[in-house]
Amino acid sequence: MDQLKLTRRQMLRMMLAGGSVAALAACGTAPAATTTPTDEPAAPAAATGAPAQVSQTGSTVTITYWGSFSGNLGEAEQAMVQRFNESQNDIVVDYQFQGSYEETAQKYTAGLQANTIPDLILLSDVWWFGFYVAGAISELDGLAQQAGLDFSDYEPVLLNEGNRQGKQFWIPFARSTPLFYYNKDLWAEAGLPDRAPETWAEFGEWAPQLIQREGNTLRRSAFVHPDGASYIAWLFQGVTWQHGGKYSNDDFTMTMTDPNTIRAAQFYQDTVRDLGWATLGQDINRDFLGGAAAAMMASTGSLAGLTTNATFPVGVGFLPKEANFGCCTGGAGLAIPNGIPDEKKLAAMTYLAFATNPEQAGIWARNTGYMPVRISTKQTPDMVAFFEENPNFKTAVDQLPLTRAQDAARVFVRNGDQIIGKGLERIIVNGEVPSTVFADIDAELTKAAQPILEDLREVEG
Amino acid sequence: MRERREWLLFALLIGPNLFLFGVFTYWPLLYNFYLSFVSWNFLRPRKRFVWFENYLDVFSQPQFWTIVWNTVIFALFSVGLTLLIGLALALLLNQPLRYRNGARAVLFSPVIMSGAVVAVVWSYIFDPRYGLIDQLLGLIGLNSPNWLGDPAWAMPAVIMVYVWKNLGYAVVIYLAGLQGIPRELYDAARVDGAGPWDRFWHVTLPGLSPVAFFLSVTSILATFQAFDIIKVLTNGGPVIATTTLIFHLYDLGFVSYNAGEAGVIAIVLFAIMLILTIIQLRYLEQRVAYS
Repeated sequence: MDQLKLTRRQMLRMMLAGGSVAALAACGTAPAATTTPTDEPAAPAAATGAPAQVSQTGSTVTITYWGSFSGNLGEAEQAMVQRFNESQNDIVVDYQFQGSYEETAQKYTAGLQANTIPDLILLSDVWWFGFYVAGAISELDGLAQQAGLDFSDYEPVLLNEGNRQGKQFWIPFARSTPLFYYNKDLWAEAGLPDRAPETWAEFGEWAPQLIQREGNTLRRSAFVHPDGASYIAWLFQGVTWQHGGKYSNDDFTMTMTDPNTIRAAQFYQDTVRDLGWATLGQDINRDFLGGAAAAMMASTGSLAGLTTNATFPVGVGFLPKEANFGCCTGGAGLAIPNGIPDEKKLAAMTYLAFATNPEQAGIWARNTGYMPVRISTKQTPDMVAFFEENPNFKTAVDQLPLTRAQDAARVFVRNGDQIIGKGLERIIVNGEVPSTVFADIDAELTKAAQPILEDLREVEG
Repeated sequence: MRERREWLLFALLIGPNLFLFGVFTYWPLLYNFYLSFVSWNFLRPRKRFVWFENYLDVFSQPQFWTIVWNTVIFALFSVGLTLLIGLALALLLNQPLRYRNGARAVLFSPVIMSGAVVAVVWSYIFDPRYGLIDQLLGLIGLNSPNWLGDPAWAMPAVIMVYVWKNLGYAVVIYLAGLQGIPRELYDAARVDGAGPWDRFWHVTLPGLSPVAFFLSVTSILATFQAFDIIKVLTNGGPVIATTTLIFHLYDLGFVSYNAGEAGVIAIVLFAIMLILTIIQLRYLEQRVAYS
């Protein structure tokens, strides 16, 4: 009996501990879930575009800003918000981290249903369009005019992506392109020239010198691909173009079964399976920093973080060519929700103008590696000096004029990115035949595009 | 008169709970049923009624049956291993050993850890190039499989972590069951000349059957809802090797934003759990020897 009592007491104690952990966890999540983004009564339904109300005049306006940056990117973002808040007395920006791009979009979707939406939101390349066709984000031209913001100094490649029928809905902020990253120490060890490969064929010759095998295990790969969840479909976009293929046409007809698109997929499969010098990793930055992969393609937005954290000199270069050069833009921009009071919209636009002004865009670019979204930023003395000291950053900016916007299948079709990503995983991981898989993907994308096309016809006529 | 007052008291007592259940359980259940018949992406103002189109779409996808199979494998192995290893450990920890209490605490500690934390730690342990398992296998001259990157190994990896995390709970419940078996039965068995094996087979095991029954019901229901470990460890991958029904539901609902098809999966899960519970209550309970 003695034993029984002891165990019960122990068990109770354990359960109590478990319970309090659960309770703590619940406390931790509760505020995020129930956050009211404004200090006023809930805004009217966003999607319906109800009339805006001005409830405050002549006093401080507080706006809520939902973003997706953590780590060193989050610190850079917080610092910018702080600089803005300290620079004036009319507007207070409350920056709230929401998780990844996907989680931010999820929360915004839920927020629209619950009428708790922010006043400014960071949306990634694959998300803004869905909210645009749903009527959930505001047209920005009028607001920009009121805030005295002129769009002519923005990088046209980046600005035009957020423009529909001559109206601006999405302003470039943390915009990136893929870069070819390489580990200079491993390059030197293999006796390779200190530069990124010009072509994939050239890299194919280098790769065997970079890999390290132990039995059947690849201890070190020459190159690492991300998985679907980490946007392999973004990096593969440029590779399809390099092979002369594409995901889709502008009118949303899919071209996944185009022989050149399939050729690109075959190449990806070969790098991992037949040639065996590449791997598919869950966390490519971890593999690269840990020396488990000698090279990778990754966002310019990782440049600052990788340079700081690497124990080796990091090299970058343009993406390798195949039949031709191909590189897309990516990253995130800012949008202002619909259905919030006009004064909040204007306050959000004021912050947006600050965050993308030539000086701030420069600070942001230097702290992160994202593109300076303003043309004049590149000529500021700070930026010129920085480029001289950090030629890697210059490479990213130099590649920008050669980039173009992504195909509709990935950025305009809801979940298109993940559909293509899962297809690539089937080809690379399962070793399925690329033409078969991409025929499936073509059909799936075509089906997923239907509701968007219907909505688009309604919105744009 | 008195009856009315009793009714009032009755309503007063169950009212608050019924209200909460209604709002947070029954209403979502009904609403989900409705959603499974519409085409909706959470954003469009209109929901288009499509009858059984979502059901046909879901059931005609070849991946759906792979996912059902994954769910069955995951549930079967997770529950089976938890019950078996849990029983063995409980029998061991029921012996008067030194440091027994410490061992029990250690064994139970993963249960109170967050699933996400457990998964992150294990993702390092599983790494085929610098993970702990690779280091250990290296001592005997073996290479680690690519646990989380190889479709053949990912499910065993997820099951291992899930069993490791939940084993302590089964052990504690088993221990409680073991201590609830009257000593007299063992004494009587001994007098009748039963050896250790006979005592285990004829006294311990029947005595534990209510506990094992309870564990099997709760564990199966829990595995069908297991999400955190899969989300963090493999995100349902590689490809769909570790996608279970509940993960598929999340994928369809909150990645693809297909409310209708996610609703169908929720109905399927609901039906499976209902059937399992009925089977377990009907057939298994008859064989359980309650003292």
